[in-house]
Amino acid sequence: MTSPLSTTAGFSRRGFLGLAAAAATVPLLAACGGGSSTANSGGTVKFWDMPWAAPAYNDAAKKIVDAYVPTGSNLKASYQTIQWNNFYQTFSSAIASKTGPAVSTGGGFQAFQFEQQGQIAYADKVVEALKSNGMYDDFLPGVLEPFKTDKGYVAIPWQLDMRVMWYRSSLFEKAGVAVPTDWPSLLEAGKALKNIGAVGFAIGAGAGNFLGNHASIMMMVNNGGGVFNKDGELDVMNDRNVEAVEFLLELVSNGIIDPAAVSYTSDNLNAQWKDSKAGYGMFTAGLPGRIGDTTGELLVADPLTGPHGDKASIMFPNNIMMYKNTPSQESSEAFLVDYLGKLKDLWQQKLVTSLPVFKSITELPEFASDPNNVKIVKEWQPISKNFAAQGSTLNAGLAVLDGGQAINQFTQTILTGKTDAKSALQAFKTGLESTIKK
Amino acid sequence: MSTTTTKSGLARARQGLAPGGPGGGAPNRKSKLSAQTRRTFFWLLLPSIVLLILINGYPLIYAGVQATHDGSLIETGNFVGVDNFASVVASEAFWKAARFTLLFTIVGVFGSWAVGLGLALLLRTKIPAGGLFKVLLLLPWVVPIVVSSTAWNWLVGTPDSLIPAMFRNLGLGTPLFLADPTLAAITVMVFKVWVSFPFMMMMTSAALASVDGTVYEAASMDGASRWQQFSQITLPLTARSTYISWILMTIFCVNDFPTIYLLTGGGPVDATTSLVVLAYRTVFQDFQTGPGVAIAFLMTITLVVVSVLLYRQIRKSSVE
Amino acid sequence: MSAAVHTQPQSRSALGASGTTKGTGKSKRVLSDAGMRGRWWRFTLILAITAVVLVPIMVTVVLAFSPSPTSTATGFTFENFGNVFSQTLASTWLSNSLITTLSTVVVSVAVAAPAGYVLSRGRSKAVSGYSLLLFVMQSLPIITSVVPLFILFAGLGLVDNLMGLTIIYVGSTMTVATWMMAAYFDSIPISLEEASWIDGCSVFGSFTKVVLRNSLPGILSTAIFAFLLAWNDYLVAIVFLRSSEIFTLPMGVQSFFQQNQTDWTSVMALAVVMMLPPIIVFATLNKYFSVGGIGGSLAGR
Repeated sequence: MTSPLSTTAGFSRRGFLGLAAAAATVPLLAACGGGSSTANSGGTVKFWDMPWAAPAYNDAAKKIVDAYVPTGSNLKASYQTIQWNNFYQTFSSAIASKTGPAVSTGGGFQAFQFEQQGQIAYADKVVEALKSNGMYDDFLPGVLEPFKTDKGYVAIPWQLDMRVMWYRSSLFEKAGVAVPTDWPSLLEAGKALKNIGAVGFAIGAGAGNFLGNHASIMMMVNNGGGVFNKDGELDVMNDRNVEAVEFLLELVSNGIIDPAAVSYTSDNLNAQWKDSKAGYGMFTAGLPGRIGDTTGELLVADPLTGPHGDKASIMFPNNIMMYKNTPSQESSEAFLVDYLGKLKDLWQQKLVTSLPVFKSITELPEFASDPNNVKIVKEWQPISKNFAAQGSTLNAGLAVLDGGQAINQFTQTILTGKTDAKSALQAFKTGLESTIKK
Repeated sequence: MSTTTTKSGLARARQGLAPGGPGGGAPNRKSKLSAQTRRTFFWLLLPSIVLLILINGYPLIYAGVQATHDGSLIETGNFVGVDNFASVVASEAFWKAARFTLLFTIVGVFGSWAVGLGLALLLRTKIPAGGLFKVLLLLPWVVPIVVSSTAWNWLVGTPDSLIPAMFRNLGLGTPLFLADPTLAAITVMVFKVWVSFPFMMMMTSAALASVDGTVYEAASMDGASRWQQFSQITLPLTARSTYISWILMTIFCVNDFPTIYLLTGGGPVDATTSLVVLAYRTVFQDFQTGPGVAIAFLMTITLVVVSVLLYRQIRKSSVE
Repeated sequence: MSAAVHTQPQSRSALGASGTTKGTGKSKRVLSDAGMRGRWWRFTLILAITAVVLVPIMVTVVLAFSPSPTSTATGFTFENFGNVFSQTLASTWLSNSLITTLSTVVVSVAVAAPAGYVLSRGRSKAVSGYSLLLFVMQSLPIITSVVPLFILFAGLGLVDNLMGLTIIYVGSTMTVATWMMAAYFDSIPISLEEASWIDGCSVFGSFTKVVLRNSLPGILSTAIFAFLLAWNDYLVAIVFLRSSEIFTLPMGVQSFFQQNQTDWTSVMALAVVMMLPPIIVFATLNKYFSVGGIGGSLAGR
């Protein structure tokens, strides 16, 4: 059993070659996959955008960015689409490694979260520029204010993601009932719709579907309640909220809310609208386009009046934020001002289904030709509050409220109907308190 | 071991016949590798050591830092010691998720093993187009989970989906497979078994293939029934491989994120929230990085302990 | 019975594939006595099981070949595939996926085979400790390790390119791949190496010339394992890849998901495209895939 010590040298050289061969595949790969984000990080303003609508939207937005001609010594901009799936992970890891964007859209409260972590560049100079070019006065009322904090503007809104009530006219005709205008008539219409096998309050809270969460907050806000008081402090257990939750539970127990709604994904819910199963319910603007419905039967309903006379809904002012990690802050600002000015192209091409933030865009024929859009702008936008209602300013805690476990659990508990209003709210309050940092 | 006359490489190696070791095969003598051999071994291991440190070691240390700090994904924050662990262990949600994870893992491991074993036994017999079925039955494992979870949602998600409609037509009511907490838990587990059984089938097929057919001939001559043959020959002969497949499947089940998350998102009302899903939601939806990573850490530690125990079991079963 | 248990490894110790198929041949002969009647009964049974099991997959395939909601076509159509390949970068994604996956397979085997050899032949405490360490260190779920990995790789300039992704895939397949290789090497009698040492071969020489040359089935099963892992991953890709021209197929599938809306026919068409390569690989290499062999490797420790 001799160990072949003498010949090892030759073979270890071969071993080295073997390793080298394995290593050689690596640069080969690098040549194949040169990503653009690493290549041009030096001299351009990186703008990251989300898939807000069909792929044509991102193509059009990219065209705007590519066509941007900076003035003076400002830098050019580059466009990058970021997928929704795990986007917070994508942004966080990019920012932490200094490979993040200089300007981006993103989650509704993302700007506040990153501001809390010292990553956001305030947009005060952009607001100044908008004041001087007249666009400041073009903002719809109340859309910019929520972004103003003690330290400055955290972001600039660019579109309003509305939550409004929709209905399918043919189902109401079939059920022989009027479209609801307040809570009692909603209950009544729901019962009539149920009799013809339709859903009287269509929502969903399944995997990845946040509309159910929004609906439960919307009903609280509609009743003059909300999760925060006027000073921005948590105020979950107020009477108005209890009343709203009791009403939702009543809808559940009467079968007006689909018993399976708790597990409905966006896809399930869309199908319900498309297949004429949903008679009435909350959705975003542009429902017919989103689900590909061309019947013309899907219409925006009147805002509901709560039992105490309140009329309110919720909206999410989606925004564009700037980051401290930029090759040139002046360039970021110049780009953002320019981009805001070109937003109307996107509505002109009918690529965005949500509401614009500028009055002039709402008056474009391409937008105003849709009576549903007009109704949302006229009747819903003025009464819409942001998620912070009854408080007025936004904050990082709202991100937790929007997509966190507490609200998800709360909504799902209500939708399964196996609870009473007070204990559901109590659990919600406890959950929020443990996660929302002061 | 006494009956063996020729030894497997493993057994020989164990007895000191490793390269560079002393010859003669004196039993129970510790092998002493020559310095040269040891150096070669080191070079052979080196790429894997580098990768282990880089890909597995670094995130583990990083996670350790996150779990003991109160920071975010971007900032480290302040050192808080075991506070995160304490708050996690004190929360009801953690234990609920732990119970679900346990159940999910038990059903996932043994369910997929039972189905896989059954199919492997069936496919082992002569069947027309057997090879085709073998490949077709691997498909659930091959299809991207984003796609199969959607397909499952279409089959069971709403009262009008195919399977609830079938139940209704049979007069069995309309089960809400994803909306009822108990049914949702069962559905997720069935989905997991569906995704995993092909792996088990393959593991078992390979193990069965290594069983010498003459053993069965002898057994049937002795008048052993089919069941006796199965329980007294097939199972013991494939025991080692079975243990291994259980360990691997345990890891796959405990660490499984997409299967649950894409089908139910952990709901309704946490009914299908496993520890990984809880960790994910705590870190990326509640933005509580420290506690979330602490959950993942506790889970990993438990997983390692369980696996090491099972691993000992295998060792015992093969050395006895 | 216990004797049979322990002599079992030799029955499959022969060089190459014959070791794994020998047993089947013999048992088939025994079972063939059951006759033709049983054959067709079992055929019906497996046909029924397969049909039930494949329902969710048939849903996928049917949708992939159905016209999309905005299309004018009716019935069975290839339109979705045409659209996916003409309107998106699907062909680029396919080649990216193939490059990444095949590189992962090659590098995984190149890393796991030598390591597996040491695990199989090295008998020291350090080696068994390393085997366990491999296992322990990869137990952290990917969702918590992907952010630190991104930060590390960003520092190395390896994000948003396929090489960084490949390195991570190699790292995540490594434990199982190493164990699989070790298991296979265990079934190769050491006497072969001893003979080559007498002929003057080094340890490394006998590894490459004697052991590896006789390990094709082991290498192939390790390769298939790595192939599937790299081919289907999206949790790492979604954080690491940004530019659509370097997406892999699972990321391409993700790009059809918009806010509250999904282009399902495109998703399903791409899913069918994604299914084909693994099916082809399985159909051709199926008989070699024997993860079961890992048992030997672990059990020896």
